[in-house]
Amino acid sequence: MSTSNQQAGQSVDQSTHFEVERFLVKEARALDEERFHDWLDGMLTKDITYQLPTQEVRYRRDTKVLGNSQTTYLYNDNFGMLSMRVARLDTGIVWAEDPRVRNRRIISNIDAHWSDVDGEVEVRSAFILFRSRMQRDQATHYGIRMDRLRKEEGQWKLASRVITLDQRVVLDKNIHCFF
Amino acid sequence: MKPINKLVQQEGAIQDRAIFWDEDIYQKEMEEIFARCWLFLTHESIIPDEGDYQATTMGEDSVVVARQKDGSIKAFVNSCTHRGNAVCFSDGGNAKAFTCPYHGWVFGMDGSLVDVPLEEQAYHNEIDKNALHLKKVRVESYKGFVFGTFDEDAPSLKDYLGGMAWYMDSFMDAPGGCELIGPPMKSILDCNWKNPTENFIGDGYHVGWAHASALEIAGGPLAAAKGNAVYDAETSGLQVTVPEGHGFGIIWEAAAALHAGPVYDAYQKWLDERSPLIREKMDEHREKFYRGHWDAAIFPNCSFLYGTNTFKMWQPRGPHSIEVFTWTLVEKEMPQELKQMIHADNMLTFGTAGILESDDGENMEQCTQSNRGYSTRQGTLYIGMGQGHEYLDPELPGLVSKGWINEAPQRGMYRRWAEFMEGKPWSELSTTAQLEQKK
Repeated sequence: MSTSNQQAGQSVDQSTHFEVERFLVKEARALDEERFHDWLDGMLTKDITYQLPTQEVRYRRDTKVLGNSQTTYLYNDNFGMLSMRVARLDTGIVWAEDPRVRNRRIISNIDAHWSDVDGEVEVRSAFILFRSRMQRDQATHYGIRMDRLRKEEGQWKLASRVITLDQRVVLDKNIHCFF
Repeated sequence: MKPINKLVQQEGAIQDRAIFWDEDIYQKEMEEIFARCWLFLTHESIIPDEGDYQATTMGEDSVVVARQKDGSIKAFVNSCTHRGNAVCFSDGGNAKAFTCPYHGWVFGMDGSLVDVPLEEQAYHNEIDKNALHLKKVRVESYKGFVFGTFDEDAPSLKDYLGGMAWYMDSFMDAPGGCELIGPPMKSILDCNWKNPTENFIGDGYHVGWAHASALEIAGGPLAAAKGNAVYDAETSGLQVTVPEGHGFGIIWEAAAALHAGPVYDAYQKWLDERSPLIREKMDEHREKFYRGHWDAAIFPNCSFLYGTNTFKMWQPRGPHSIEVFTWTLVEKEMPQELKQMIHADNMLTFGTAGILESDDGENMEQCTQSNRGYSTRQGTLYIGMGQGHEYLDPELPGLVSKGWINEAPQRGMYRRWAEFMEGKPWSELSTTAQLEQKK
């Protein structure tokens, strides 16, 4: 897996692009349908990194890091942490998710390139996530995701994801939903 | 608006629901509480160098707090004295000056007006720049935690903190002190600002129930509290309320208890190593407080969990909405690796995507939103748990209650709320010093 890839940076071929796109659509559907174990066990590599850093509002010219405040990640999970989140949802006593929250993911602008690691694909996709809860509680999140996909036993799996959420102030009471 | 003694009754145990909903009460809070109290702005560690600054709010007033050339910290209102435009649009950073994007007035990092375009040609050199200083905020720090007030008559920050300072020294005054890690997360809740403050100040009662799912899967020493299965009021902890309105609950020997695995091990090792230093520098009480887990609030809208190490401001945005700012609290002398582990754990538990934070949000919102109903709003709410069982301890400041599940700190917060809302001058507001005289 660590061999360097001579095609690095080049767009993937049409058939690979089709597979990648199907993977992302199926992933979004699994999450929409709360099939979290299908997601964990069938769509993620065991060494996955899953990150969502906060956005800072800064002047373009000013990049100084203040004090010890390098980055704050809303998600900075490995497979174990993602499993723990799913295990919590499985307890049946997550009051904030009962009645259920309806999450609808729209995935678009998919752009896939061969990564520098042989067999891995780098995929940039845009997302909109609509959340509906109770009677008229609505939240919308949007941004981009930078993914690395890897084929394991003939199946594409997500090996890393960095989510960029565009809002500085997250306009929601929580984002305990997967992007 | 009803008289204050009708809005809060029985020493804080009964509140009229209108205080969580009515616009006129909210505006009165802005005047009597947010324009008078010391409000948390930032931590000195976030703005260490000249020109470093943070933008925040005091109530709904936008302010900038900045490190000065002489090392001091000043704060000012983020609104140009010409036409009112904001002069700073960023979260923070490092700057030499702020230039208003409307007409180009330039303000120094101390808020002084230093340059006006066409000063000679258009103003005939007659503009009094000294008089056009950005509105000043009074600033003081306690152990590196920077607060501001708009009230020149307010007592010192230390006096404002009252007996709470003695308790907070347990960690704020640990060798090397504390720091906050950011950038802060920011999110919204459609609730009144008092709902989360009262939750943090003393609501141990909700932990075993609201957070049952998280306690079940997180494991660790606090898991036994799930569903209130295990609780011993005599030995488990304390609750403290001080007359200044601040308060906290503590679970003994549980500072690291919401961390798990290697983070728990590393943090517990740190606590074990450092505890003797706390005892040496302060006393055995503070060593015990240093090793416990706190849910706490500094009146009116600053809250923290020492141990889990989440540090929050509930910024009011109207009577039914807040912005939540969340930093991570760590000791400065902790190894950087431990700081980052605690920072990550804070996000996992009490971040915007946190497994405990999401339990609270819905509760906060519905506690406020139910008061939308006119007839509902005519009623009152009750926090009388343990009332009458508070006591004066010869060695501990404030009023103390046994066990970490109680509602004494919430009552203390509403008692203080009523004192401010009655418009009392500082000389007539209760203090820890007065209470100490009763011992």
